[in-house]
Amino acid sequence: MLLQILIQGTLLSGLYALIAVGFTLIFSVGRVLNLAYGAYLMLGGYVFFFISQQLGAPAVVGVLCAAVLGCAAGLLKYRLIARPLGDNPVAVEISTLILAVVVQSGIVLIYGDSSKILLPIVPGVIRVAGTSVTYNLVVATLASWAILIALYLFVQRTHIGRAMRAVSMDRKGAAISGVDPDVINMITWGISGLLGAVAGVFFASYTQLSPSMWVGPLIISVAVVIVGGIGSIIGTLIVAHIVGFMEVIVIAVIAPELRGVFTMGLIIGVLILRPRGLFGREEL
Amino acid sequence: MKRVTSLLAATSALALIAGAASADITVGFIGSTSSDTGLSTLRGAQIAIDEINAAGGVLGQQVTLVTADTQEDPTEGVKAYEYLAETAEVDFIISGSIDDVSLGWLPRMQEFQIPTLDTWTSYIGIIDMVVEDPELMAPYFMNVASDEALATLYINFGADVLKGQFGYDSVVILAEDTAFGGAITGLVTEALAPVAGIEVKDIIVYDINTNDFAPIFSKAQNSGADFIYQISSVNAQVISSQYVKLQVPMMMTGVNVAALGMEYWGDTGGAGGGISTLSPVPAVGFALDDRSQAFVDTYQARYDSRPFYPHFNGFNAYYGLQQAMAAAEQAGGFDDVAAWSAAMVNQDLVLEKDGKMWLNYGFWDQGEVEPVTGRTYPHNVKFDLEAPFDDAQPSMVVIQWQEDGAVGVVYPPEYANMEITLPSWVE
Repeated sequence: MLLQILIQGTLLSGLYALIAVGFTLIFSVGRVLNLAYGAYLMLGGYVFFFISQQLGAPAVVGVLCAAVLGCAAGLLKYRLIARPLGDNPVAVEISTLILAVVVQSGIVLIYGDSSKILLPIVPGVIRVAGTSVTYNLVVATLASWAILIALYLFVQRTHIGRAMRAVSMDRKGAAISGVDPDVINMITWGISGLLGAVAGVFFASYTQLSPSMWVGPLIISVAVVIVGGIGSIIGTLIVAHIVGFMEVIVIAVIAPELRGVFTMGLIIGVLILRPRGLFGREEL
Repeated sequence: MKRVTSLLAATSALALIAGAASADITVGFIGSTSSDTGLSTLRGAQIAIDEINAAGGVLGQQVTLVTADTQEDPTEGVKAYEYLAETAEVDFIISGSIDDVSLGWLPRMQEFQIPTLDTWTSYIGIIDMVVEDPELMAPYFMNVASDEALATLYINFGADVLKGQFGYDSVVILAEDTAFGGAITGLVTEALAPVAGIEVKDIIVYDINTNDFAPIFSKAQNSGADFIYQISSVNAQVISSQYVKLQVPMMMTGVNVAALGMEYWGDTGGAGGGISTLSPVPAVGFALDDRSQAFVDTYQARYDSRPFYPHFNGFNAYYGLQQAMAAAEQAGGFDDVAAWSAAMVNQDLVLEKDGKMWLNYGFWDQGEVEPVTGRTYPHNVKFDLEAPFDDAQPSMVVIQWQEDGAVGVVYPPEYANMEITLPSWVE
C-alpha cells in the first residue's frame, strides 16, 4: 500500500501543481484572485475535445490550440475586466467569478450539461507494484515538472521574469525603475491563461470534461496559493504535493468521501497560524 | 342600439361555446429539459400526444403539452410542480424526474391531486405510500419497476452468474454518496449477497464529485474481493472510463445509470466496455417488438440531438401517456381522480414478439400480491420475478457493454441476446 500511495500521490501532485501554477502567477503579480481561473481549464479541455476528438486532429495540435486560446482568453480578461477595475480587487474577483459562470453557460449551450470523457493524450497503462498507472498521467506529471522548471527559470533569469518579480514586490517601485506594470500584468495574465488551458487538457483527459469542471481545480488552486504563499513557485510545487499526497492517503487509509476535508483543514490552519503561507513573502 | 347589443351578446355566446368545445386537455411534463433522462420522457410523451391528436384527441379535445424544468434539483422541482398546478392548471402530469426530485414534489401532488405518471423514479418508498394511503396517493402511478423489484431479480443474476458461472465468493461495493447509493448498498448487503452466498468484503463510499478513482480502485483491489459491485447514478461515465483506462483487474457490475443510454459509448470516449449493469426494460441492446421499434423509428426520424435513442423511460412515457388518456376516456376526464385512477389501474397493454408476450404495460392493483416477495406494489408497473416470465416482463435485465462498443442483454436467458464476458484484461 505504501508504494501505491507514493506512486499515486506523486502523479496526482504533478497534476495539481500544473493546475495551480497559473493561478499563483496572477495572485503573485496582480494581487488578484482570478476566480475565473478554472474557466481556462474548462476552455482548454473543450478546445482539445473539439480539435482532437471531434475534428480528429493530432493531440499535439489540440494542446497547442488550447494553449493559444487560453492565452487569448487571459489577455482579453485582463484588458476587459482586470485593468478597468484595477483599483478595486473585490470588483475584479466578483467579475471574474461571474465570468466563469457565463462561460459555463456558454459551454452548456453548445455541448449540453452532460459530462464527456476525453480520449487519453497518451493511451495505455502499466502496472507498477500492483498499481495501475496510465501513461496519460505520467505524461501530465512530467509535463508539469518541465513547465514548472521552465517557468522558474523564466522568472529568475529573463528580463521579463525579473520585471514580473519586481511588479509582484512593489508595483510603484517597478514603475519608477522603468518597468511598465500594465504590460507585465498583461503578459502574466496571458501566461496564466496558457498554463490554465494546458492544465485543463491534462485534467480533463484524466478525469472528465463537464461544464462544471472549473470548480474543483479552482478550489485546489486557491488552497495551494493560500498554503504555499504569494510569489513562490517552489512553494506551489511543494504544497501541491502536500495536497496531492494528503488526498491519496485519506482515500487509502480513512475514507474516500473525506478526501477534500483535510485540504480545507490545512487551509484554515495555515490562515490562522501563518497567514503569509508556508513559503510566501511578508505582506505589505 | 338594441340590435347592436343583441348581436354582440350573440357573438360572445357563440365564442364562448366554441371556446369550450375546443378546450384542450393539458399535459404537464416535469423533469429536466436538458438531461438525457428528462428529454427521453419529454419526447416520448410528445410523440404519444401527436399520435393521439392525429387520431382525434381525447373526449373530443386536443392534447397540449406544457413543460416545467426541474434542472434535476429538488427545490426547482417543487417550483416546477407548483407552476404546472397553479399557473398552467394542467390536467395530467408526466414525470421524467429523478428520485430525489420526485420526492420533493410528491407532497404537492398529494395536495393538488393531479393524476401523475412517474416514468423514471423507482423508489419503493413511494409505492409504500400508495399501500399505506391509497386515497391520498390515488393519482400517482409509476411505470418503471420499483428499485426493490429491480434488486430482487438481480439476486438471481448474482446466484446464477456471478456465483454460479464465475465462481465469485466475495464482493467489494463501490457506492456513490447519495440516497440512491445508500439504498442499493442496503439491498446488496442485506439481500443480494447473503442469498447468492457472496461475502461483502468492503463498502467504499465516494463523493459524487470525485474525479480521480485510481486510489479508490486500488483500495477495492486491496480488499481481496473477487469483483466490484458499482452503484453509480451521477457522472457514472467517469468511474466507468477510469475502470477501463486503468484496466482494473476485477470484474465490475452493478448499477451504472450512465450505461443505460446509447450515448454512454460516446460519453466515455470509447472507454466504457467491459462493465455490466442492471437496467429497467426496455434497455439499450434490448430486442424490440414491432410497435416499440416503430416508436424508435419515429423518434429517430424526428430528433437529431441527444439522446439519439430513447432511454427506457422514453418508452414508458410513450405507452404510459396513451394509457393515461385511455383511462381519461373511460372516466370521462381527469377531474374525478378516483374514477381515473380506477380506470388507469386496469390498463393492460401487451406487446408481443414472435407470437409470445414480450412486454406488458399493466399495473399492480391494491391487494394484488407478488408471489416471490410476498408483498404488494399498487400502481407500480407489472413485472415478473420468476422465469419463464409468462405474466409480464422481468423487472430488470442485465446489459453489458463490450469493448468494441456493442451492447446487449446478458440476463435473464429468456431475454438475452449476448453472452456475458470478462474484460480482456481481467483473468
